[in-house]
Amino acid sequence: MNIQDNYLKNKKNIFFSENKDIQTHREKLINIFENDGFDKKNNESLKNINQKNFIDFKYRYLISEETSVINNNQENNYSIVSVNGQCSSFKDDKIEITKILDEDYNDFSKNDTIENNDHFVNLNSLFLNSGFKIVIKKNNNIKIKISNIITDDDLTIFQKNNYICEEGSSLNLIEEYENKNNSTSNILNVIKLEKNSQLNHFLIQDNSPNHNLIITSHSSCKKDSTYTQKVYNFSEGYVRNFHYSELIGANSEADLQGIFFLKDNNTSNNKTFVKHLAEDCKSNQVYKGILNDSSKATYFSNTHVDQVAQKTEGYQLSKGILLSDNASYFSKPELKIYADDVKCSHGSTIGPIDENAIFYLRSRGMSKIAATKILISSFINEELSSIDNEQMSEIIQKKLVRYLSKVK
Amino acid sequence: MNSETLNTLDSYSKNKYKYGFVTDIDNEKPKKGLNEDTIKFISLKKKEPNWMLEWRLKAFSKWKKMKEPKWANLNFPQIDYQDIYYYSAPKGFEKKPKDLSEVDPKLIETYNKLGIPLEEQKVLAGVAVDVVFDSVSVATTYKGELEKLGIIFCSIGEAIQKHPDLIKKYLGSVIPAGDHSFSALNSAVFTDGSFVYIPEGIKCPMELSTYFRINAENTGQFERTLIIADKGSYVSYLEGCTAPKRDDNQLHAANVELIALEDAEIKYSTVQNWYPGDEDGKGGIYNFVTKRGLCAGKNSKISWTQVETGSAITWKYPSCILKGDNSIGEFYSVAITNNFQQADTGTKMTHIGKNTKSKIISKGISLGKSQNTYRGEVSFLRKADKARNYTQCDSLLVGNKCGAHTVPYIDSKNNSAVIEHEASTSKINEDQLYYCRQRGLSHEEAVSLIVNGFCKQVLQELPMEFAVEAQKLVSISLEGSVG
Repeated sequence: MNIQDNYLKNKKNIFFSENKDIQTHREKLINIFENDGFDKKNNESLKNINQKNFIDFKYRYLISEETSVINNNQENNYSIVSVNGQCSSFKDDKIEITKILDEDYNDFSKNDTIENNDHFVNLNSLFLNSGFKIVIKKNNNIKIKISNIITDDDLTIFQKNNYICEEGSSLNLIEEYENKNNSTSNILNVIKLEKNSQLNHFLIQDNSPNHNLIITSHSSCKKDSTYTQKVYNFSEGYVRNFHYSELIGANSEADLQGIFFLKDNNTSNNKTFVKHLAEDCKSNQVYKGILNDSSKATYFSNTHVDQVAQKTEGYQLSKGILLSDNASYFSKPELKIYADDVKCSHGSTIGPIDENAIFYLRSRGMSKIAATKILISSFINEELSSIDNEQMSEIIQKKLVRYLSKVK
Repeated sequence: MNSETLNTLDSYSKNKYKYGFVTDIDNEKPKKGLNEDTIKFISLKKKEPNWMLEWRLKAFSKWKKMKEPKWANLNFPQIDYQDIYYYSAPKGFEKKPKDLSEVDPKLIETYNKLGIPLEEQKVLAGVAVDVVFDSVSVATTYKGELEKLGIIFCSIGEAIQKHPDLIKKYLGSVIPAGDHSFSALNSAVFTDGSFVYIPEGIKCPMELSTYFRINAENTGQFERTLIIADKGSYVSYLEGCTAPKRDDNQLHAANVELIALEDAEIKYSTVQNWYPGDEDGKGGIYNFVTKRGLCAGKNSKISWTQVETGSAITWKYPSCILKGDNSIGEFYSVAITNNFQQADTGTKMTHIGKNTKSKIISKGISLGKSQNTYRGEVSFLRKADKARNYTQCDSLLVGNKCGAHTVPYIDSKNNSAVIEHEASTSKINEDQLYYCRQRGLSHEEAVSLIVNGFCKQVLQELPMEFAVEAQKLVSISLEGSVG
């Protein structure tokens, strides 16, 4: 079924289909789909994926009877269970959770950092059926853990979440995506950091082979704010992590990191993009991947430094280990620089596990498999040891052990 | 930024093109425009056999269906292919002169202005020069000596007549006519260029060199160069260019094909200093070059070295297809852009064979309002066991109105292949400047020294004859920046 028919047929289930502004925007998006075609070769958002699953999908959405739960068990500690992308409203003197509104949609659709040929983001805007908005109030320091639950098979979730960290606030956000059903989630997180705020964002992704997760985020950082994102992808199903950051205030920082573990026929597409639009900002983009069997991965990273963004420091690093003959890894680390007083660099390596290192360990009596496992663990040790949350560290260690047990 | 640096930048950007002059020679041209008649005219003028004309027409029919590649980071007005002369040969060159004394003295004068005294070069440098003035080779030296070794070094037109077997076998084998629109265009209308064949086991005793020169106004130059190194042979080829000052944009779409058979080595060096346009970005040459080398045999090696300082637009990706096992590809590049120049240049290393190695060193320097992009692709195919690549691309920005971009594509499909890529972008280090100035160097000398040091890794790869010229060129490009 083509996109337009699909949309028209399900229009009544889709958010904001009464709003005229949004309606015009959506018509534009449909036009992009009609005219652009699906040029896999030149469209980063489509590389390696099976278009059929994503473009010619069957739309299905349920509002679950189970309601989401918001707990405030400890002081400053919240845990949220979002069901099918929805979350009930909540309000206290520190945070406020609501449904997303028309204005949040417009707010995002005017942004031009994300390319207009990113079909997944366009699909998200078109079929939007869930999402919530979380505001962290001024000068609060809190922790939130969100578990994303999907209740049924073959659902298509198109979710848009807004996070707003008000001035001087600090948020530690852990998001879990662990689903065992055959659904597709297409999530767009729009994150706003006001002056002097801070957000540590962890995403743990561990879905079953038939569950697809497409997650895109767009963060904008005002003066003196810091956004740190760490993605741990253990999923056995398709995952797309596209993360965009805009540094719009002086002295702000963005740190986008990720590690992914792939096996079997799994595919993962990753992208990070940092746009420096103010002076004295720092950015860091680090992705590491381990690819086994016939898995495929892509990683696009991009640092854009505007003419006014003097004294920028922007670093990129991409590392891949191929464990099997059939695995493939594509990386494209880009720098676009229009200011002269900058320090920017990127590094990229792809290769097998160092044979000399294996030899060293084996000469000390270790089996080849044990040596391989040790070297994989050490490859990502830096990322794992930097987790300061003990509970999370444990969870991730367990998942790593599970992945390593399949390595032969 | 201090005022001195600003002054420096100012004078930099005012630095004018030194080699801008026009030699008045009557040109014989067909009508403007591109159609089958133009191609037939070219083919007739060059007395080509029928199969060549057919080859050209086939390429032309492909070109008609193609669009220019659009992915490069370049902005330029639509090229009007019907407003260009496709053939221009200095009059009286139907019969080639037997030696230099028969050559039009005005031509000789042109070369002298450029500092390439043919006579002197013959004696001093020991370089055989196959000079291309506009589109026809005017003089070939040292031919006899090369002939003794069985080396064929002549214009491609001559090769088509005298060595049709080699041409039929290799022309278009590395860059197929239908590869992209510029290669199809070149295949259809190429007028001259060099042909080199090094027989089995021969090490070419001297650097082979061609000076290209674009002279007649509105004449696109479509060179076709084909170099074949047979088993176990070695050749080093130099290509250098300077062009007179013109206001109209001139199109240049050359194709260069290299083929290295088993154990052979080809070293190809370029210094390109065509007219870059004036300080307002008016005029200048559009340089759309396709250069590709095929390491066909085992243990073969192809090495590209380029110094790009000229042209309003540079679109150039000398690449290597590493097909033979243990073959090696290298790419060394310095690209300097000033004023409104735009360069999108880089390389493509395709590893097919086992144990293939490649190395990429690229240095980009942006000044004024220019845009300088490195675009490179390294790919390891499934069977490229133990292949190895090292890439380093550094950019230097002088002034805050220019841009430096790096766009590498890295694709690995083999788990024993190792790829390393690093890149950095920065401005000239203040500490280094301070250090140099403290030791009594002027600001200009200091910048020049630092930039030359920045490029050294590449410049040292050039053959002696070129290294001097290239270093001068780097200094000239910086001159004024530096004052």
